[in-house]
Amino acid sequence: MNMHSRSRRAVGIALASALALTVSGCGREGDGGGGGGGSRAEGAASPGITDTTVRLGITTPLSGATAGPGTCTVAGVTAWFGAKNAEGGVQFGDGKKRTVEIEALDDAYDPQQAKANYDQLKDDVFAMTAGLGTPTNRAWRDAAIADEVPQALIMTGDPLFSDPEESPWQLGFVPVYQNEGQAFGELLASSGKDHKVAILSQNDDYGAGYVEGFKSAVEGASNIEIVEELTYEATDTSVDAQLTQLAATGADVMFNAMSLVPLAVSSLQKAQQLNWKPSWFLPSNTSSPGGVLEPGGGAAFPGVYSVAFSKAPAGPAAADPDVVEYLAALKQYGNYQDPPAFPHCQWSWMVGATLEQAFGEMTEPTRDAFMTALRGVSGFEAPLMLPGTSVDATQPGQPAVSSVVVQKFNGKGYGTVEAFE
Amino acid sequence: MGTFVQLVVDGLSAGSVYAAIALAIVLVHSATGLINFAQGGMAVLSVYIAWWLTTRGVPLIVALLVSIVFSIAFGALVERYLMRRFERGDPDTAVVVTIGLLTLITGVAGWLWTYNNQQFPSLFSLDTVSFLGVSVSQRSLGTTAVIIVVMAALQGLFLGTKLGLALRAVANNPESAAFSGLPVGRLLMVGWGLAAALGAVAGALVAPQLTLTPGMLDNALVYALAAVILGGLTSPVGVVVAAWLIGVLENLAAVYVPFIGYDLKVAVPFILIFVVLLVRPQGLFGRKTVVRV
Repeated sequence: MNMHSRSRRAVGIALASALALTVSGCGREGDGGGGGGGSRAEGAASPGITDTTVRLGITTPLSGATAGPGTCTVAGVTAWFGAKNAEGGVQFGDGKKRTVEIEALDDAYDPQQAKANYDQLKDDVFAMTAGLGTPTNRAWRDAAIADEVPQALIMTGDPLFSDPEESPWQLGFVPVYQNEGQAFGELLASSGKDHKVAILSQNDDYGAGYVEGFKSAVEGASNIEIVEELTYEATDTSVDAQLTQLAATGADVMFNAMSLVPLAVSSLQKAQQLNWKPSWFLPSNTSSPGGVLEPGGGAAFPGVYSVAFSKAPAGPAAADPDVVEYLAALKQYGNYQDPPAFPHCQWSWMVGATLEQAFGEMTEPTRDAFMTALRGVSGFEAPLMLPGTSVDATQPGQPAVSSVVVQKFNGKGYGTVEAFE
Repeated sequence: MGTFVQLVVDGLSAGSVYAAIALAIVLVHSATGLINFAQGGMAVLSVYIAWWLTTRGVPLIVALLVSIVFSIAFGALVERYLMRRFERGDPDTAVVVTIGLLTLITGVAGWLWTYNNQQFPSLFSLDTVSFLGVSVSQRSLGTTAVIIVVMAALQGLFLGTKLGLALRAVANNPESAAFSGLPVGRLLMVGWGLAAALGAVAGALVAPQLTLTPGMLDNALVYALAAVILGGLTSPVGVVVAAWLIGVLENLAAVYVPFIGYDLKVAVPFILIFVVLLVRPQGLFGRKTVVRV
């Protein structure tokens, strides 16, 4: 494998040099400053970018069980740049204005298909972005590093993608699972009261990440006792047995690290049937008011908590100017008619805004310059972001967004809370 | 003790979900000799039709009836214009065609109605009934009751009526059945239509809990197939008992057998199948297939 990737790299360098020779006559400006030491010839435009256009690639699930969120990951960023293109394009740091084209392929959450999509796109696009899924993004991570293709602002909470040592061409967008679990743990530990916590988590990196973050926050807090910790498989159709077992502990807080909407709904229902009504924590992707809490009867519990960094398009925020602009663009340019049921649409919109920030700082039309510019974005309050959160891509080991606020369900939507009641 | 009984009751209600789909598989198998992997997909399509009607203001019960009628027609048409071309050939080919059909229907449903989770209204309320310190929802009770009624009706159909006998004859040996004057083609259509209708009922029963998505029954189908093999392909009573057994044993093993836990419980039904089939290859309740030579 090493031999293979090395020889491939050599071919890549040779090609890039040849390309540099042929184009150095035209698109070259400001030579001499390059002390970067990148393997590519400085200043020569990378694939997928011209003086007037830049092309982005996405591989994400557009069919299958994860297609709902997957479709959103394309719609948001497409809407953002659709609106920008209609205004004439995006201003880049090298002084040129470019329109942004997006090519999205369906991987159906299948890692092999994701890799095949990447292979198909890599020579035509400037950067890959926004795609959803941990196993799918992992499938072509090595190849992206070898080919030096940016895998930027992808939708996975896997910390691997946010480690610049191991993943030089990657950066996750959404908070890692640990960030979310930790935020709730900190709130709970600071409540000043004694709490017995029951944990039900998905038996994979997703569930384990939430639990790890939660435990790190409550470690040493004498008022928190974890009374039972159970798991379920992502393929399970029912978690009734787990709920029965957890209800028997009489815990007053349920930490439910669950990524599947139907199971989250039936967990809430089952607990009510057992007349067990603890305060309840749900992750950001399974806590939608319309999709989970209403059908699950979330109002029956003393409090349902979640974490967020984006405004929800439904409920109290619907009149917010950010939200109005976003929904209109989503309809007109994102080919997405209804107010979305998944936060991934909002996240993808923010990915668009963050990419634009990076483009604005990018002084050369190269992938190298893009990654440098991207890792320099900090303190950026993207549209739709909640107060108290921001994009900060400068922190090693953290995704572009690592700040979240804890929110509590108020019967219709969510409101940010400062304390656990 | 309270937890133990609750786990058994939970297992029975999960088992009823598997049983609903397993019964439809048994019906098609008894009527055509095939295992229809698209059974779940066809059921989901019917539930989508019912759901679509309810969003247009049609009362739930009417919507369900319409979807059942649609299912009968759809099942019969699938048999007549798709499956018939493969029925005379290698049975493996026909089974693969049903897998293709499953993929196709799932894709079409996703294209028409998106992959978002839709809330399907339930015929039964979620209010609970408590007895002996155990709470069980009316929905679980209702689902189980419907399953038992359907099971009894199917058992009666196949063992007690001329139509059932004719269906079985066609499945068993289409050529001989044709020679003895049975309208084989029409009987096959009836078998597929009935199975699709049963699938629609099963889908409507479980959709409120699983929430309606194109892939709603994919995981349940695996358990249903396990129940079908365990209970015996020919016995409606057998598959229902097997489905309940799977649901209950899975729960109990997860809680009371420490090394299994919730991580390995999915393997329980399959270990069970392995053991049972070693002893009784025809399944717990199945009849031995006798081939005259």
